[in-house]
Amino acid sequence: MSPRKARAMLGWAYLLPYASLFVLFVLVPIVVAAYLAVMQFDLTSPKSAGFVAFRNFADAWRDEYLQRAFVVTAKFAAMMVPSLVVVAFALALGLNAMPRGRNAVRAMVFLPTMFTVAVTGILWQWFYNLEFGLFNFVLKNLGLAPVPWLSDKNIAMPSIVLMSLWWTSGGTAVILLAGLQNIPRMFHEAASLDGADGWRGFWSVTFPLLRPVVLFVVVTNLIGAFQFFPQAQLLTGGGPELATRGVVQYIYETAFNGYRLGYAAAMSWMLAAVVAVFGFLQFWLMRKEAS
Amino acid sequence: MRIRQALNGLLATILAILLVRSGWIGAVRGRTQTEISFWNGFTGPDGRVMLELIRRFNRENPDLRVSMQRIAWATYYNKLMVAAVNGRGPHVFVIHASTLPRMNRAGFLEPADFLFGPGGVPEQDFEPLVLRTTEFGGRRVGVPLDIHPQGLYCNTDMLREAGIVDERGRPKPPTNREEFLRAAALMMRPRGSPSPDRYGFALTHWQNNYQSVFPQFGGRYLDERGDADLDNPGNVEALEFLGSLRTEKRLIPPPDNQLGWIGFRQKKVGMVFDGVYMLGDLKRLEGLNYVGAPMPVLGHKPGTMADSHILCMRKGLTERERDGVARFIRFLSENSLDWAEAGQVPARRSVRNTDRFRSMQVQYAFSRQIPYMVYPPRIVPLFEMGLEINLAVERVIRGRMGAKESLRIADENAQKAIDRDRAESQAPGGSR
Amino acid sequence: MKGRWVLLVAMFAVGLLFVAPMVLMVLTSFKPEAEVLNPESAIPKHWTLQNYLDVLNWSEEAPFVRWLMNSVLVSSSVTFLVLVLSSLAAFGITRVRVPGGGAFFYLVVASMMVPGLLFLVPVYFILNSLRLLDTPAALILPAAGGGFGVFLLTQFMKSLPKAIEEAALIDGCSWLGVYYHVSLPLCAPAMATLGVLTFIGSWNDFVGPLVYLDSIQNYTLPVGIALYQASYYTEYGRTLATSAMATAPLLLIFAIFQKQIVESMSSTGLKD
Repeated sequence: MSPRKARAMLGWAYLLPYASLFVLFVLVPIVVAAYLAVMQFDLTSPKSAGFVAFRNFADAWRDEYLQRAFVVTAKFAAMMVPSLVVVAFALALGLNAMPRGRNAVRAMVFLPTMFTVAVTGILWQWFYNLEFGLFNFVLKNLGLAPVPWLSDKNIAMPSIVLMSLWWTSGGTAVILLAGLQNIPRMFHEAASLDGADGWRGFWSVTFPLLRPVVLFVVVTNLIGAFQFFPQAQLLTGGGPELATRGVVQYIYETAFNGYRLGYAAAMSWMLAAVVAVFGFLQFWLMRKEAS
Repeated sequence: MRIRQALNGLLATILAILLVRSGWIGAVRGRTQTEISFWNGFTGPDGRVMLELIRRFNRENPDLRVSMQRIAWATYYNKLMVAAVNGRGPHVFVIHASTLPRMNRAGFLEPADFLFGPGGVPEQDFEPLVLRTTEFGGRRVGVPLDIHPQGLYCNTDMLREAGIVDERGRPKPPTNREEFLRAAALMMRPRGSPSPDRYGFALTHWQNNYQSVFPQFGGRYLDERGDADLDNPGNVEALEFLGSLRTEKRLIPPPDNQLGWIGFRQKKVGMVFDGVYMLGDLKRLEGLNYVGAPMPVLGHKPGTMADSHILCMRKGLTERERDGVARFIRFLSENSLDWAEAGQVPARRSVRNTDRFRSMQVQYAFSRQIPYMVYPPRIVPLFEMGLEINLAVERVIRGRMGAKESLRIADENAQKAIDRDRAESQAPGGSR
Repeated sequence: MKGRWVLLVAMFAVGLLFVAPMVLMVLTSFKPEAEVLNPESAIPKHWTLQNYLDVLNWSEEAPFVRWLMNSVLVSSSVTFLVLVLSSLAAFGITRVRVPGGGAFFYLVVASMMVPGLLFLVPVYFILNSLRLLDTPAALILPAAGGGFGVFLLTQFMKSLPKAIEEAALIDGCSWLGVYYHVSLPLCAPAMATLGVLTFIGSWNDFVGPLVYLDSIQNYTLPVGIALYQASYYTEYGRTLATSAMATAPLLLIFAIFQKQIVESMSSTGLKD
């Protein structure tokens, strides 16, 4: 055996353990999902399963519920990502400016990130409950009218965003804080000398230097927002009047309540296409940033 | 180096737990017993009663070992379906009568006719209406265990306080529309306030509430051809009535998740409609005094919605497993009086005709609705239709739309689901 | 400076806001049922352990200790496998420089774009044909096939100089020896990040166990709590007690490894 060949064999021996799992649990599923998407595959009518080419996609394109679900998901992303960036930035700047006690507060705001979805849902259901919830109890004691946190079409989504902010902004703040601390002191000193303090200093010096980190935060959270489901599942079940039923929940229900696996797979691919657009955007922007 | 220590530590943890687990698993296996797996969604207090019954069965039948698996109803059916379709399903399991059409067409249910008759359960002991839910193409696919109608729960202290009592001073649940509206208004505190502390009535699961009411107005789900008929005059009238409780009469709180039931538990709501199965949740409460009663007649005739737990078995069992399952089903059926304690009405007439059942106040009161109860329609896309009904009710009780318009939309969408299912069950890409 | 102190106090107040829900959860779980829904005072008037005792006594319905063990088993196994397999793969790609390794790397990265939802049903079928459903392996193996570890470690190894490894090779060390004695220690910071993120991700995984497990005895904590909540949603006291118990191990880990965890998180944003 030539040394080159031997080295190739050796290399693949290192790759093999991972690669086998990768093929089995990533590549094969992708192929299966592609196959399902062009099939009519209803568990409730096994006899009529069969190839339907792109009919699932055509149906999905016309599916009003899917359109509504995309609007809901987009709405969540549009509310969540900007507010997350603002809140996390405020936290990071505050933490960065703290003379002492920074690590303690950093740990405090990071803590909710450790909570599992189920516990988070249990807690916030209790807070948001219309009649017996904590928030409305406080409002009532202040002499204010109770707020229908989860049962009003226009308030339910902001309520979910608020919970998500509590849950995730600490993690994002920590990322931004690390970015801030990576900025060499001399930049701030130079800005100070130029009289660019405070707000102006932030916009003219800090923010541009943090561009790559902010970009990362925005794009990963945008991709995450398109997977919107567990938060709504736990708090509202998609209601009121489907106002919080996003794409992922609709697909999940189609697959696991309606048992229409082929149709669900087709819709998943449509969601994947949207997510991929953001993924490539990230890739492209980062490349551009790097060069 | 620390990273390698960390890896070793992880490995040690894994091995330690595996060791403990293998101890657990090794301990339970018996050798000569036939293992029977039984799945259901009884994750609440009803599960404890069922577990007790299974322990007894296992004691009385040393050659069998039934093990029960409880899965929350929300995910139960998709787990059962995928498992069974993949040949991995349990031997015996519970399916709601309303879900049977869907599960039956998936093709994993074993015909259960042999369970009836001598050596099995007596056919004539069941209501024909209930038996019919298990019949497909002339064959039965299961044995009904119980009947769970929707009915009225009343807080007796609140009734008494509001002066709603009979001639002997006992709290008197309302029986008709006038009494119902009067009771709802009288129990409100403070009366006529825009945000009262206590309500006379609240909706619980509004879809079920509505489906329990519309049969009273002559409403229905399907027309004679099996097409959706959700916007018939009876349905519209029923939904208009429910909607008016909130929008015009201001008698009930705004609809919110589970609000009505939690309120009833907290003594902040005087009356609710819910299933007999919710009784288990009340039994564990101290200091709440309540009675069950048939649904008041809000429309033109008595009526309510009901469903049943049906015991079914999977295709492809061995002879011994089949025999074991048959004995187990017969055991549960014969002992359904114990099951009734958990908050159920037994499917068997002979069990309901016992003094012990008559002394179960709520169960007995709810069982009086059997002559006129209505089961959901026997169609495969029931989940889709249910969602449309749910949305239609929600739009109306939130005051966003009139009942007629709202039900028309639901009817249209439900019909689409029915048409699609008809086409797709014939052939892939069936014409539409 | 006065402004600095105002900032300090303000930030601590904000921090408390983030911690408050957890504190409330713990305090309320010590309240008797009657007090739970009357939140006049956050601190219980009558302290009681009843909620915890109730949960632990119903081990047949909610085998809490089993769930905890399962969670530890699954999360540890996933973390172990991801660390070992990913580092081996990254070593093969960057150090042995196997032909086709670069293409494989891009395949892995591209696969990370596909939403997890798409995998649910196909992976179910695969696990079913392998007879692995309803076992811990159903949660461990698919998670170990995820691409994030390979992505992170390959990027990290690429940025390290190869000189030490090459010297070791020339000294007669075998490739495996180089991996174990040289590359692993060099990768320690990235491995720590990866380990922490993987462990937390696996611990909090909800959809996987929901779809791939049937038996209550095999549940992990998140689905266990969800089951408990679905069954006893009306009993906040007990639900909160289960939640508190489920969160406690993670808080313990957080208390011990706070620095590493926070730094792992922050370093995800800084990678090239």
